[in-house]
Amino acid sequence: MSVIAQDPSIRRADGSILMARLDVPAEELSAGPIGYRVHVVDYDSSSGHYLGAHRLPECFEDEPAAWQAGRASIVDDRRFRAQNVYALVMKTLSRFEFALGRRVGWSFGVHQLKVAPDGMLDANAFYSPRDEGLVFGYFPDAGGRPVHTCLSHDIVVHETTHALLDALRERYLDPSGPDQAAFHEGFADVIALLSVFAQVELVRELLRRDRSAVQGGRFIRYRDVSARALRQSALFGLAEQMGSELQDVRGQALRRSAELEPDPGWLKDPEFAEPHRRGEILVAAVMNGFIEAWTSRLRAAETPGQSSHPLLRVAEEGSDIAKALIKMWIRALDYMPPVHLTFGDALSAVLTADLEAWPDDERFGLRDHLRTSFRRYGIRPASERADGIWGRAPLDLRYERVRFESMRTDKDEVFRFLWDNRKALDIKEGAYTEVLSVRPCLRVGLDGFTLRETVAEFYQVARLTPSELRAKGILLPPAYTALLRAEQRAGGIRRAKTLRGGAAPNEGDVPADPESDPVTPVYGGAVLIFDEYGKLKYRVHNDVFGSRQSERLRYLFEVGQLRAGERGAQVVGARLSALHRQRSIDARRFPQQGW
Amino acid sequence: MKPSAVEVRSYQVGFGDCFLLSFVYPKKTRRHVLIDFGTTALPRRGSKPVNQADHMERIATDIAQVSGGQLTAVVATHRHADHISGFATTAKGGGSGRIIADCKPKLVLQPWTEDPKAARDARKATADSSRSRRSFVSGLNAMHRVAHAVCKIGTAPPRSMPVSIAKELAFLGMDNIKNESAVKNLIAMGARRGATAVWAHHGSTSGLSRLLPGVRVHVLGPPDLTQSEKIRRMRSSDPHEFWQLMAGPKALRGMGIARRSAGGKGRVPAEARWFQQRLATMTSEQLLEIVRVLDDEMNNTSLILLFEVGSKKLLFPGDAQLENWSWALEEAPDATRTQKLLAKVDLYKVGHHGSRNATPKQMLWDRFLKRGGPGARRMKSLLSTLPGKHGNTLKKTEVPRRTLREALDQQTDLVDTQKLSMAAKAPLCHVVTIPV
Repeated sequence: MSVIAQDPSIRRADGSILMARLDVPAEELSAGPIGYRVHVVDYDSSSGHYLGAHRLPECFEDEPAAWQAGRASIVDDRRFRAQNVYALVMKTLSRFEFALGRRVGWSFGVHQLKVAPDGMLDANAFYSPRDEGLVFGYFPDAGGRPVHTCLSHDIVVHETTHALLDALRERYLDPSGPDQAAFHEGFADVIALLSVFAQVELVRELLRRDRSAVQGGRFIRYRDVSARALRQSALFGLAEQMGSELQDVRGQALRRSAELEPDPGWLKDPEFAEPHRRGEILVAAVMNGFIEAWTSRLRAAETPGQSSHPLLRVAEEGSDIAKALIKMWIRALDYMPPVHLTFGDALSAVLTADLEAWPDDERFGLRDHLRTSFRRYGIRPASERADGIWGRAPLDLRYERVRFESMRTDKDEVFRFLWDNRKALDIKEGAYTEVLSVRPCLRVGLDGFTLRETVAEFYQVARLTPSELRAKGILLPPAYTALLRAEQRAGGIRRAKTLRGGAAPNEGDVPADPESDPVTPVYGGAVLIFDEYGKLKYRVHNDVFGSRQSERLRYLFEVGQLRAGERGAQVVGARLSALHRQRSIDARRFPQQGW
Repeated sequence: MKPSAVEVRSYQVGFGDCFLLSFVYPKKTRRHVLIDFGTTALPRRGSKPVNQADHMERIATDIAQVSGGQLTAVVATHRHADHISGFATTAKGGGSGRIIADCKPKLVLQPWTEDPKAARDARKATADSSRSRRSFVSGLNAMHRVAHAVCKIGTAPPRSMPVSIAKELAFLGMDNIKNESAVKNLIAMGARRGATAVWAHHGSTSGLSRLLPGVRVHVLGPPDLTQSEKIRRMRSSDPHEFWQLMAGPKALRGMGIARRSAGGKGRVPAEARWFQQRLATMTSEQLLEIVRVLDDEMNNTSLILLFEVGSKKLLFPGDAQLENWSWALEEAPDATRTQKLLAKVDLYKVGHHGSRNATPKQMLWDRFLKRGGPGARRMKSLLSTLPGKHGNTLKKTEVPRRTLREALDQQTDLVDTQKLSMAAKAPLCHVVTIPV
């Protein structure tokens, strides 16, 4: 299918829009288009108009010439907009399914994701799990012409990635530490940007822009593919050319990865404490790893006596590395803990997942490049091993009471396994435990053999009073405990007053009731990776009563996501639509200043 | 010459602000400063609504009478209707605005964003950098156009819009509509012969100290753009750009003001109707979210004024929100000095009618030294508000916010306009006297 390679502002020399051709899973679409995983609803809610159910061309060859040529008129073609958004959502979904070796269902449990390509007048685009869909807004540019966010490759992939990440790690939208909130944004940007760079057409066009570097239109000098030069031509070049009207919608992650000098200090900089800014550090670390891998691959291919590479070769290498990185990062999700993710966890997960699926890293050296790039941005692997790979799971586990086949699909069976091994697996009593998912997956390894794995996630939650938490060694912020007490008392007085028909209560009417002491929840959990014999290979664990909980609660309180209520903690999550809005206006938070 | 006392009148303007400061000098001479004069909603008189123009005219007459027909200065903290609607004149040039203008203020003080020069530049600012003064101001102007649209939507909402959202939109829209007559009158008062107009920002002079011997007036906010831009080294984008995006004529059409005649393709097919409903609700929520951002942005252009009269300190922050405060109290080069000054405040005009984000808890409130149990030294607070108009109790965004009001009640001598009756013969204001 033809799609716009990035957005309508990236043009070829002849003025036409730069297009790309995407392969998507074959299917017979209904009018809408409606497919087996995506349902496009072209309803503009701001004007109240239904814009019709579109029938897409059945194959690439049937597409109108204007689409393939990238004529400017396609921007106003609703049918094309529907195809563009459909193709990019399906492509992203298929990248996930391919990398993971299994079907990936949406988080909300129904089969089709609803997509509104021109859903509302707003300089915003977002994924809303509650509404089971993606909404792309449109808005007028300075000249009054409409800008459609659904025509931007990176924006569509970004939103789809939010939906897929939410499907694979349902707890990542919950309040946790600063990294987890930032990860949703950062990861969506990583996949979106790599997906743009995976298109050879676009990379070639970007490199061609700098005429002096290109000889005869087909060769590029060695010195113009140094890390510095590629940062400039590819990263910065793309950031410069992306539609500037869309800057508020997509944020500045790409530009920042070209500009943000590696410095371990960024993570501690208050400016990067806001989730929408913190994600930029992750993006910068990945994109710079990408550039390093690309340039060193090209350096290896230099021939003595020559001074330039074929341009196509350079573009293809870049695109191949981008594709490999996409696969790597999607696979990494299986190796990330189900709750309380940190950037260090993400790094260990990507290194481990890649080692398992692709032990030989000779060609691109991606693991080394990522390790180095992340270190330069101050992100160290969470694993204690020197190479950053997760440690192996304990081996003395009991398997005799569980059934091998059921362990691959059945939550109850996996729970029984947990229960039988709760001591060895360090599953804490006094917390509620639930298996969130059991997912069998199949991958083809480098040696041509298939790799079978089962990935199961469980989480734990305990709701404890301040004194119970203290007994577990978890400290609440003193200001929060004081607020809890005050809220409880104020609530008691209000209640007594209501019961007395509005009269003010006496001192004795508000009994201190230790039974109703307010509780605060703490979460933990793990992801379990079983090998093809059903034996536990890895266990990536976050202890529900662990030592990081005090710090996490302090962070949540400081940013205003943990609030004191009458009956205990109120944990306030963020909606992605609001997060995107905060990003577009670069909002600052003053959580401890409000009433 | 030094004042021996300050009398502060806090008028009943419902959801709005109107304060008259009278500086009492020896030999019973007085100088009067009017800070804000506006309303967006009045309490009912019994069960009957009160005519806003009539009520504001009564207050204007009272102001003229108290000041003996001579105002030293008029301050309009920012452009929202609940702070300036009283300055409007009727079609024939009469009304409350006329009465105030006839008091011939020698000084008209407003934030820098109101400088007509900035506004004139702003009109041609579309291609300009989004960070410039001009485009900032043009963004503020764009807000009025958005407000018109929003107001219409709020008063005649599409069926799909929840009533609570429609009500809030109408209210916010009303407050942000450009009050052309009031704005013009303020300009005219400042341009009058013998009068001065001052457009101030953090650290600039207000012109008030010259007219009020023995009184120092500090302008603590709003920061100028060059000041606030320094807060972030790598600011990603600019909020004001998206105001412009929202304000094009197409935008208004898209908001349902002028429906496109062609383009619809009949009913949504049955299988898509559930999502159509959700989309409609989301659109309403998003619209409200945008309008709230814009409303806050305008609030943040508020002047924050601190009057130092002898050893007494009076703080009038308009509707300044946290971003404006944080410049003065945390980020400005003289923030430590400001913190010290504000610690000793004797009278605090509660910011933004008692909303949750206008009295910074740690930056400001916790640092007030004169909070506490009853006593002669205890600080006074003035709250001018009307409940049930703004925000949502369940979401803890109601105005006035319950917890703030409780704290004011327990730790300060709270003077609340809610206690003023609307009865025809009841007094129009509270009078608070601060001896110096």
